[in-house]
Amino acid sequence: MLEFYEPQADYGTPKSTSTTMVTLSIDGVSVTVPEGTSVMRAAAESGVKIPRLCATDQLKSFGSCRVCLVEIEGRRGFPASCTTNVEAGMEVKTQSDEIGKLRRNVMELYISDHPLDCLTCPTNGDCELQDTAGELGLRSVRYGFEGENHLVAEKDESNPYFTFDPSKCIVCSRCVRACEEVQGTFALTIDGRGFESKVSASQAEDFMDSECVSCGACVNACPTATLTEKSIIEAGKPEHSVTTTCAYCGVGCAFKAEMKGNQVVRMTPLKDGKANEGHACVKGRFAFGYATHKDRITVPMIRDSIDDPWKEVSWEEAVTYTAKRFKDIQAEYGRNSIGAISSSRCTNEEVYLVQKMVRAGFGNNNIDTCARVCHSPTGFGLKTTLGESAGTQTFASVADADVVIVMGANPTEAHPVFGSRLKRRLREGAKLIVIDPRKIELVSSPHITADYHLPVRPGTNVTILNALAHVVVNEGLEARDYIAERCDVPEFEKWQAFIGDDRHSPENTESITGVPAADLRAAARLYATGGNGAIFYGLGVTEHSQGSTAVMGIANLAMLTGNIGRDGVGVNPLRGQNNVQGSCDMGSFPHELPGYRHISDTATRNLFEGEWGVTLDSEPGLRIPNMFDAALDGDFKGLYCQGEDIAQSDPNTQHVEAALRAIDCLVVQDIFLNETAKFAHVFLPGASFLEKDGTFTNAERRISRVRKVMPPLSGKADWEGTMALANALGCKMDYSHPSEIMDEIARLTPTFNGVSYAKLEQLGSIQWPCNDNTPEGTPIMHIDEFVRGKGFFAMTEYVATTERANRKFPLLLTTGRILSQYNVGAQTRRTQNSEWHGEDVLEIHPHDAEERGINHGDWVGINSRVGDTVLRADVTDKVKPGVVYTTFHHPVSGANVITTDNSDWATNCPEYKVTAVQISKVTQPSNWQARQKSFDKQQQGLLKKGLLQEGSSQKAAH
Amino acid sequence: MSQSKLDRLVKMVNQIALNMSANGADKMVADQVAQHLEKFWSPPMKNLITEKASGADIGLTPIAQLAVQNLLVMQEAKRPSYPPHSLNPQLIQG
Repeated sequence: MLEFYEPQADYGTPKSTSTTMVTLSIDGVSVTVPEGTSVMRAAAESGVKIPRLCATDQLKSFGSCRVCLVEIEGRRGFPASCTTNVEAGMEVKTQSDEIGKLRRNVMELYISDHPLDCLTCPTNGDCELQDTAGELGLRSVRYGFEGENHLVAEKDESNPYFTFDPSKCIVCSRCVRACEEVQGTFALTIDGRGFESKVSASQAEDFMDSECVSCGACVNACPTATLTEKSIIEAGKPEHSVTTTCAYCGVGCAFKAEMKGNQVVRMTPLKDGKANEGHACVKGRFAFGYATHKDRITVPMIRDSIDDPWKEVSWEEAVTYTAKRFKDIQAEYGRNSIGAISSSRCTNEEVYLVQKMVRAGFGNNNIDTCARVCHSPTGFGLKTTLGESAGTQTFASVADADVVIVMGANPTEAHPVFGSRLKRRLREGAKLIVIDPRKIELVSSPHITADYHLPVRPGTNVTILNALAHVVVNEGLEARDYIAERCDVPEFEKWQAFIGDDRHSPENTESITGVPAADLRAAARLYATGGNGAIFYGLGVTEHSQGSTAVMGIANLAMLTGNIGRDGVGVNPLRGQNNVQGSCDMGSFPHELPGYRHISDTATRNLFEGEWGVTLDSEPGLRIPNMFDAALDGDFKGLYCQGEDIAQSDPNTQHVEAALRAIDCLVVQDIFLNETAKFAHVFLPGASFLEKDGTFTNAERRISRVRKVMPPLSGKADWEGTMALANALGCKMDYSHPSEIMDEIARLTPTFNGVSYAKLEQLGSIQWPCNDNTPEGTPIMHIDEFVRGKGFFAMTEYVATTERANRKFPLLLTTGRILSQYNVGAQTRRTQNSEWHGEDVLEIHPHDAEERGINHGDWVGINSRVGDTVLRADVTDKVKPGVVYTTFHHPVSGANVITTDNSDWATNCPEYKVTAVQISKVTQPSNWQARQKSFDKQQQGLLKKGLLQEGSSQKAAH
Repeated sequence: MSQSKLDRLVKMVNQIALNMSANGADKMVADQVAQHLEKFWSPPMKNLITEKASGADIGLTPIAQLAVQNLLVMQEAKRPSYPPHSLNPQLIQG
């Protein structure tokens, strides 16, 4: 909804969660609040604002500024209302002549060392210091400015997104406390004492050189212009805002997009956002500039061959051209010769429409989504064991966890806002077990040390999980009553006999996993007996040839210990992209309709057939790798790819490129000419998340609204583009707003029956299932029973990958993500986030580097069985000997030129996490990189030629 | 149809069979593998593997071979579906 700009309400101190209520009197009015509430908050909740500077409801009370003084009947002096909690019968006076005088005295001291440049200050009109001075009626400062002061302190402008101006600092410590309490990085401190006290990043370094991770919590917390967004300095205060949902990772943070006209000037995390509760990361808060980057393509384009220049056309011409080519292909090669790939970056409504167009318009089920290459094993594994293809908890539930297992995930880099939430709980004393080949930040960071780090050898997750379960079973630590009541007992007994076998013991598997048996035993005991146990896992679990087995192993472990069905426990897949959960929910896999119902199920099919007015094919369609194989075999000739860059993100790049070249009509809908689009014949301009309405569903099944804050640059949101193409194909679609698409989804999908835009407006967000049984959604799943009825202990035989290290390829490469970049980098590379990560590097252990004569920063060749590439070496002990690691955010890196087409046995999710490689020092790029550079140059030239056409409407954007 | 296409399918069935091998007796595993193929594979993939595996050694493990035989039985019980190479009957042809 559009709102005139107004800072979010701040109650001064955090909300108390106590259920015991206390009644007191504030300025003669009776107020009832939960026990543990501060006087300041109690006053705010009753509509009385007590002036303050160092207090904010995002942080614990601190009591340093002395502005919030009040009088309390029967108490001596003037207690600070932020640090004084309510008591029954308390009588508080927030205003009196004496209080006013005291507060003004304090303000005078602050203002005597603060520049009086309010009219030209970037936060003029949005400054708590200014507001407070006004509220207190400060009219003069008796002390003058002649004395010693900080007014000429040097500004730090090193960070690309915000400035630090110490001349405006009042040393309230809000920034320092935000860095500690909210973000958990501890990069800031107050250096010096007394008058010399100043905010310092790390050891008095520039922000950019410090440990600061640019989450912006400090900027958010600053009550003055000391820490200010550069976008605000440049553009001024926003005039309206729109609440929406971040389009980066699967945390799904809620934001207020703060606007000046159609320009976003700031993204402020929403305090009421249940996934993020007012916090954000460097991507969500700052990296939105890509949306209006000069590389945006905003006009449809077509060409007959990828060696031709692009030709700009109207939307109508583009979709008519595409429809004709698709129909011609089907006429020549058959109904199954075309298909589509949808994206987890698009909205639920958009991915729903793509699968509808494929099933009802193409007449086949050749629809797949990028979740194929990340969390498809989660869908398979959790459906098999628990009965639903989704995580079991809310993020907030981690606050009740006593023992946390983080496996194959790196939350502080890839899901940073959840990472901060987790760190908070760990600082409170929860225990931590990290299962990861790398020493991720959680293993050891300020005030966090993992109790156990099990540095698993890549490819042996299942063995680790089996060994953990073996210890629990053989030491009698299982939750017998829970299993008897909640699980399929005969199947459990069968599994128990399997897992109890001595071959699964930590001692007998140590040589496979590389994990010391004693550590593994201790970790198993801790998880089984340490109270509420929660497991969070990521792509380091799923992207293996046994990914589905590992997911089932995780579910087994959770059921075995009774750790599913309440707060503080659960199985929590950390989804990579913003709408992985949603794209899977919406029927984007070739074998199932929305709501995870198999296409062969006649009743379900009939339901959709009735709504869509067509007959549906009852057989599964092609998965992404099957599409590539079929293209190379000449059977698959037309592909519509929306919002996904398969040429960069999918494994074995050369195989993918060959498949794309074999396609007669490749249609790419994207905001940029991405790597895939360079092989395309039709380019349909996409819309960023800022340009459309819809919903995203995050990793905790939370459906949140995406709201249009500016008109689509191309004239159409992605759902409108798909609808135009469907209509051109003869598949009638007539939606006037995405809410109508959601209404259709709700009609057809039992877990979404109760979802509507009206309810989303009312509740803010909804965790599915949402239907008559749970009209406001389901925060925690499987509370009384599993969705499938009885929990199923699946057999988890470890089958080693065929991708093995040998003399020729002695090291194992594993891949991952970095905080500042996102997925293929199409968005973040077009922001100043690249100042942190301008290129992908290869992490290699000092021992392996020394053996090969490699120094830090050297160019190294990485050769696998399928390809080779060249990256710069980062010699580090974050990886263990025998393991190397890289990211895949830059196309020129060719990280996926090396990865193989090995895949998960059940879902064909690629085995990105295990590639046998050899590393050697080199002096020039690989042949693939040279070819990529030349191909990129050719394609950019063909794009430019198209744009130089007379009357190009694209020129304005360039 | 290339040999490599069949090889890929053979590799996949063998991999599925191997990963399900602990589920029970060979016959039961073969049945589960067949159900998995039926549930997740597209008709051209199913057709190719059943056609080529019938009466020939294409490199399937014994359980995988049995699974493909079971799959053939399941497929035959279902035929006919859409004829191959037909256009989507619902579309208005332009």
